[in-house]
Amino acid sequence: MIDVRHVTKRFGIGAPAVTALGDVSLVIPEGSFFTLLGPSGCGKTTLLRLIAGFELPSEGEIALDGDPIGHLAPHERPVNTVFQNYALFPHMSVARNIGFGLEMLKRPKSEISTTIEEMLDLVQLGAFASRRVDQLSGGQQQRVALARALAPRPKVLLLDEPLSALDLKLRKGMQSELKRLQHETGITFVFVTHDQGEALAMSDQIAVMSAGAVRQVGTPEQIYTKPQSRFVADFIGDTNIVKADLLGYEGDRALIHFGEGETLAVHAASLSLQPGPVHVAMRPETISILDEGAETALLRGSVIDSTYFGAGSQMRLRLDDGTEVIAQVEHPRAPGSRVGLRCDSAMLHVLED
Amino acid sequence: MRDALQTQSKLRSAQATRAARKRRARLLLLLPALLVIGLFGLAPLSIALVYSFLEPGTYGGVEWVFSPDAYVQFLYERDIFDDTLVFNSAYLQIFGRSFGLAVITMIGTLIVGFPVAYFIAARPPEQRNFWLFAITLPFWTNLLIRTYSMLLIVRDEGFINLMLIKAGLISKPLEMLYTDGAVLAGLVYSYLPFMILPIYASLEKFDFSLLEAGHDLYATRFNVFRHIVIPLTRPGIVAGCALVLIPALGAYITPELLGGGKKLMIGNLIALQFGAGRNWPFGSAAALILMALVLIALLVSLRAGASKEGGND
Repeated sequence: MIDVRHVTKRFGIGAPAVTALGDVSLVIPEGSFFTLLGPSGCGKTTLLRLIAGFELPSEGEIALDGDPIGHLAPHERPVNTVFQNYALFPHMSVARNIGFGLEMLKRPKSEISTTIEEMLDLVQLGAFASRRVDQLSGGQQQRVALARALAPRPKVLLLDEPLSALDLKLRKGMQSELKRLQHETGITFVFVTHDQGEALAMSDQIAVMSAGAVRQVGTPEQIYTKPQSRFVADFIGDTNIVKADLLGYEGDRALIHFGEGETLAVHAASLSLQPGPVHVAMRPETISILDEGAETALLRGSVIDSTYFGAGSQMRLRLDDGTEVIAQVEHPRAPGSRVGLRCDSAMLHVLED
Repeated sequence: MRDALQTQSKLRSAQATRAARKRRARLLLLLPALLVIGLFGLAPLSIALVYSFLEPGTYGGVEWVFSPDAYVQFLYERDIFDDTLVFNSAYLQIFGRSFGLAVITMIGTLIVGFPVAYFIAARPPEQRNFWLFAITLPFWTNLLIRTYSMLLIVRDEGFINLMLIKAGLISKPLEMLYTDGAVLAGLVYSYLPFMILPIYASLEKFDFSLLEAGHDLYATRFNVFRHIVIPLTRPGIVAGCALVLIPALGAYITPELLGGGKKLMIGNLIALQFGAGRNWPFGSAAALILMALVLIALLVSLRAGASKEGGND
């Protein structure tokens, strides 16, 4: 288990110091596939480098299984990293790359060679042991980097956007490969990415970050269906964010009204929001399109266009207040036509700003 | 059919003329270099080779009589009275001393130069040119003048002694000029850029994320240096060592000025033979022996460099 406690990281000295991380606290459970997700510059890579030991925290502490490690050098931590550019040693064979960590730990030769064999099998590169790393394809280099980082059996494996250099097909393959490796080894994986699809597909838990802070931590399902804030809802996917009026609360439900139709009792990210204008997340697949005059309509607007994608069509609509929304429907309406919209209230979700 | 054949043969001859023209152009472009090398490199070498097998003239120059004496003289002394050969290690000692000094110079420039090259390579790209400029700045002044100014610094009434006496650390000046130490310092100073530049060239391409990868995989700073930095910059180190060792072996000005010519170095020995010594054949022979030794050393080091690369080690 990694316990990140009130960690702040500033770069530069004096007045123009840049705060990359501001008072971040986070618990990464043992043996989980944990993803740090956020746009570039959000501090996710800085957090990873702090855990690896390449940077030291300006404030706060990082503990691994209860022992503080925040100020140890990288070679003193049972933590290994898979680098974005792989950083394989070009003057060593595949086998020696994989064995390097154990060699530095002064493990007996026999143990090193057995582990190298195991690792080569694990990443399915058995035939490549004596190859030079520059003779390998991108995907193969990726797997050597994984094997090299896993060989010393670290308590935590850090992965810094390891799939970003691969093409789409390889990336999909490596996603399930990584999942499998995490499962088989039981090692805690901390995975950094800016690709929400990747994060949702692979993670046990996701921490969504922006501007040096953690916005939300949860399972992929929680993050996807119950985003806490507008930022998370916006970042995680194609969720529509629609304006509504918050009237009050009924138990743990928020009462909202869209200006037309009935008042709805919906889930809310927080029960401490002030009544007044709020933003509501509305997933495209939960929207149904009605005729303009339909009495049950909650919102009205006009169709901009629609795109057929096989399983259905994706329609873009402009609501009367100017907001653009996307709806997934089976039968799209013609562009320019006026329609009413309705949404399953169980799938609506009031966001924090 | 005939037309086709004709065009084909035309095409072939056109190709042939083009290839010939290309060859001619290549030769023409190489001509200046070939002329310089031939006229000022190979020709003097051939002259030296021929002269080394002739007899010395009484007032310099050579007598056109074949004689291997120059090479014999390198190892043996001819008794004036009974013409017997006696082994004489004096010249071997000069060679040995020169080699020793050149090797120590090489090690010195490596120890001083590597961190400098590393420092420059680790600067942001826009700053590197400034540092490289600073490294090459001494070349703007003649070596002779730079060596004279060193002489002014290390001599008995020089800057260092003056400072030390003023500071009360010593009462009478340290004898630094005309010592091996002064020659060594002068050589290290003169040849330092030849070590820094090739090492910098190989460090510039070095991927510094490999250092982090090494640290991450439990290597201490020393081990990262030994297992990652050194092997990946070996070509630059080998080139730098060769570029320092070879000219240091034949160094003339520095040992002459800073060493006072008290102990002969190869360069001084050769110069002496063509001057006061009036033994041109022996000077030529010494120069050729030096060249042969350098070539052998270079081949051995290249072999060593090649076998280390690409292996599993």
